[in-house]
Amino acid sequence: MTVAVIRAGLLLAVLAAWEIAGRLGNPLLYVPPSAAVPALVRLLGLQSYPDLGEHLLLTLREIVAAYGLAVVAGVACGFALGSSRLLGRAYGPLLAALYAVPAVVWYPSLMLFFGLDAASKIAFGFLLGFFPITLAVLAGIRQVNPQLVTVARAFGASRATVFRTVMLPSMLFTLVGGLRTGLALSVIGVIVGEVLGSKAGMGSLLNHAYGLFRTADYVALVLVTLVLIVGSDAAASVLEHRARRWTE
Amino acid sequence: MSRARVRLLQALSIAVLLVGWEGIARGGWVDPLFVPAPSAVVRAFGRIGAPALAGLGDTLVKTAIAYVLSVVLGVAGGILIGSVQAVRQAVNPFVIALYGMPKILVLPWIVLLLGFGSAPAVVYGTIHGLFPILVLVTGAVRDVDRGLLTVARAFGARRWQLYWKVVLPAIVPTVLAGMRLGVVFCLLGVLIVEMFAGVRGMGYVMSSLANGFQAPELFAATALVSTASIVIVVSLDALNERLSHWRGDVR
Repeated sequence: MTVAVIRAGLLLAVLAAWEIAGRLGNPLLYVPPSAAVPALVRLLGLQSYPDLGEHLLLTLREIVAAYGLAVVAGVACGFALGSSRLLGRAYGPLLAALYAVPAVVWYPSLMLFFGLDAASKIAFGFLLGFFPITLAVLAGIRQVNPQLVTVARAFGASRATVFRTVMLPSMLFTLVGGLRTGLALSVIGVIVGEVLGSKAGMGSLLNHAYGLFRTADYVALVLVTLVLIVGSDAAASVLEHRARRWTE
Repeated sequence: MSRARVRLLQALSIAVLLVGWEGIARGGWVDPLFVPAPSAVVRAFGRIGAPALAGLGDTLVKTAIAYVLSVVLGVAGGILIGSVQAVRQAVNPFVIALYGMPKILVLPWIVLLLGFGSAPAVVYGTIHGLFPILVLVTGAVRDVDRGLLTVARAFGARRWQLYWKVVLPAIVPTVLAGMRLGVVFCLLGVLIVEMFAGVRGMGYVMSSLANGFQAPELFAATALVSTASIVIVVSLDALNERLSHWRGDVR
């Protein structure tokens, strides 16, 4: 109870400080909450950006495409590498080394190759989501007790049955965690791609508002994009909890 | 399964990849405007060598500053938040929320605020590197063995001695793990700013090569940054390994 009060007080203090700083500072740079709320209303009322819906939909489509590809390729790649000890030991470290490179270094090449349109954003979102999913599948396979698999096979279970009843339950937790991380990174990849260079999508609107010093509209766009990001992660977290309950 | 076979397979795969890529590029299966052959990339190294190395140096200096700031602020903040329960309960949810928030959303605002020099890159890199370290250290300080603290206090340790002799040694492994994680984030943040608004640095070099459709040069620059990043991470790992022997961990 008291903790909640302190937290609420802290939040209010931050908002108040932001309000005061925003009013004292240059209005081109600082937007107090009292100015952000009307800007958000104008944005949602389609006054500041009448085509907000189209841009939002495009960003969503890019995210869905990038994440779908990342899941398919990541799961396939993870199982291919996990199915053989030699492959896993040879390519696992190579993947981990690539993972140690900040992913944004690949973006200029992707932009050159796929152009300024949606394809380069999808490719970048895919790339960011692909690694955690592959690594999670690999880690999940390592968690499966090989004795259980051997015993189940010895008792005549088919490969599919072994997978469904032995392997999947013991690796599901790691797998679902990787899928959630992958979604978060795919979303970020798409938005980073849009901000770094695009003609449409939420990132391009953010850039537009920033370029024209429409800072209040920019803050409103950030809030809308944030809802998109937090919403996608909340959906993933619901699925994660379901999966956890199923395994327990 | 021998180590040699793994190494052989790794080397062979990379060789096959490079040779196949070269063959595909030379055979005219792909447009060399977009996908240059590895040999063309190697030649491009010679052309962009000097400016690319200067850009890389610039980027690494900014990254180093951001990194030092991240580690100092992250460790100090983590000790503060982790050891004072009232602060932890009040502040931690906000820290976690900020950690999870995609920093790309505040990038334009930071550039607006700080202009087009090195400052936004350092600040943005620090924001990227700070939070993972802060969150890890907070958790480690919170989980320091209560027994050790009680015994130290019973033997009359002063407050600074508790921090210096009990808390700090206990969190060293976590700090090192955070440092390993943070450096890639710092580099990421610096590169993003340079691509977005840079006038110098590797990110700017790369985005202008992409805009100029200079694919071989771009691939060479990408290889250069990737190699630098891998070298940094691998050497931090090696350092970590040596320090873990020094700590006397049993593995």
